[in-house]
Amino acid sequence: MEIGSHSDQSKSTFCLVDEDHTFANPVRFTLNQDPRVTFCGYSIPHPSDNRVNIRVQTTGDPAKEVLKDGCQELMHVCQHVRGTFDKSVNDFKRTKTNTEQNMDTK
Amino acid sequence: MEGVSYARMPRVKIRELKDDYAKFELRDTDASIANALRRVMIAEVPTIAIDLVEIEVNSSVLNDEFIAHRLGLIPLTSERAMSMRFSRDCDACDGDGQCEFCSVEFHLRVKCMTDQTLDVSSKDLYSSDHSVVPVDFSDPSNHESSDNRGIIIVKLRRGQELRLRAIARKGIGKDHAKWSPAATVTFMYEPEIHINEDLMETLTLEEKREWVDSSPTRVFEIDPVTQQVMVVDAEAYTYDDEVLKKAEAMGKPGLVEIIARQDSFIFTVESTGAIKASQLVLNAIEILKQKLDAVRLSEDTVEADDQFGELGAHMRGG
Repeated sequence: MEIGSHSDQSKSTFCLVDEDHTFANPVRFTLNQDPRVTFCGYSIPHPSDNRVNIRVQTTGDPAKEVLKDGCQELMHVCQHVRGTFDKSVNDFKRTKTNTEQNMDTK
Repeated sequence: MEGVSYARMPRVKIRELKDDYAKFELRDTDASIANALRRVMIAEVPTIAIDLVEIEVNSSVLNDEFIAHRLGLIPLTSERAMSMRFSRDCDACDGDGQCEFCSVEFHLRVKCMTDQTLDVSSKDLYSSDHSVVPVDFSDPSNHESSDNRGIIIVKLRRGQELRLRAIARKGIGKDHAKWSPAATVTFMYEPEIHINEDLMETLTLEEKREWVDSSPTRVFEIDPVTQQVMVVDAEAYTYDDEVLKKAEAMGKPGLVEIIARQDSFIFTVESTGAIKASQLVLNAIEILKQKLDAVRLSEDTVEADDQFGELGAHMRGG
């Protein structure tokens, strides 16, 4: 849910339900890296409610677009971590079987 | 839109990898992303656990709900979990959440016939699906397999019987801890230790030894050949400031400088056995991507619509 003004699209607060620090903190960090963002922060109004408010203010681009781009950027990072982790696991398993084979043949 | 990606791409290096234990380094990323990964691993990676128990006969010493609670906590191999549907979302079954697509059925039939106490364990649970079975904790070597009979559910005396039918469903740790696939997931900042060699030279061997011993986790050691203090295990440092306090007490502040690198983390992942440790990390990344996708693609309505209720809010907020 987006709370903002129709005339100025560059500033608004996004109220997300069923989300918490797990989602909001990385998004906040990624948005702060974006040069278009002048302000980005999140808050949890009450710990018993499952809601998080993310405030985004930009240099002119609509805040909704910037938030979506931030999510996409974070998804790229996740995809990269996944690929790197996969490769790392394969490398590790390969070096382990190599050392085991060397030990067996000795 | 944006041309070049402004985010730094993280690097991963595996230190140790076993079936239920993984230790790896994650570099060039921020604490918020590392923490998000940790939180997802503990609370939001789905697994399968027993959720509904129908007891036909129970003459054991534990009451029905006690046994049902224990059954729920038994870890089940959950490779299927990511591709399974939640029972509440399943449209194949007629609403009772017990069809083959969204659940796995187990049964347990034990009666103690001998004078010896019978241990009813997780190995006595028979599954309707070969891929979802109670996790086998026995050692690969043959010596222990005769002793390790699985997780003990209840013990029966002569004449006592336990007969039940259990349905296992997909769930996440947020709903109930039985669905959490992680035993522990921790990450620490990688320490960078710089020893001020000039200041170290002014210490006698005895003082060096005293200082090295003040570290509770043996981060430093004295090389027997060169009599120099060296770092033997930087990661054993637990950010207690014992060595710093000792250096100050000896009148040599600044003897060593220890910085926690803010973008380098060492993860330790221990799984319950439901999912392999490496698979757990991959699933966590997948779930994080799904959450981001859900928010990115959701169509926001500008007005606050509290009348729409839970369904509308769920669809709107992801």
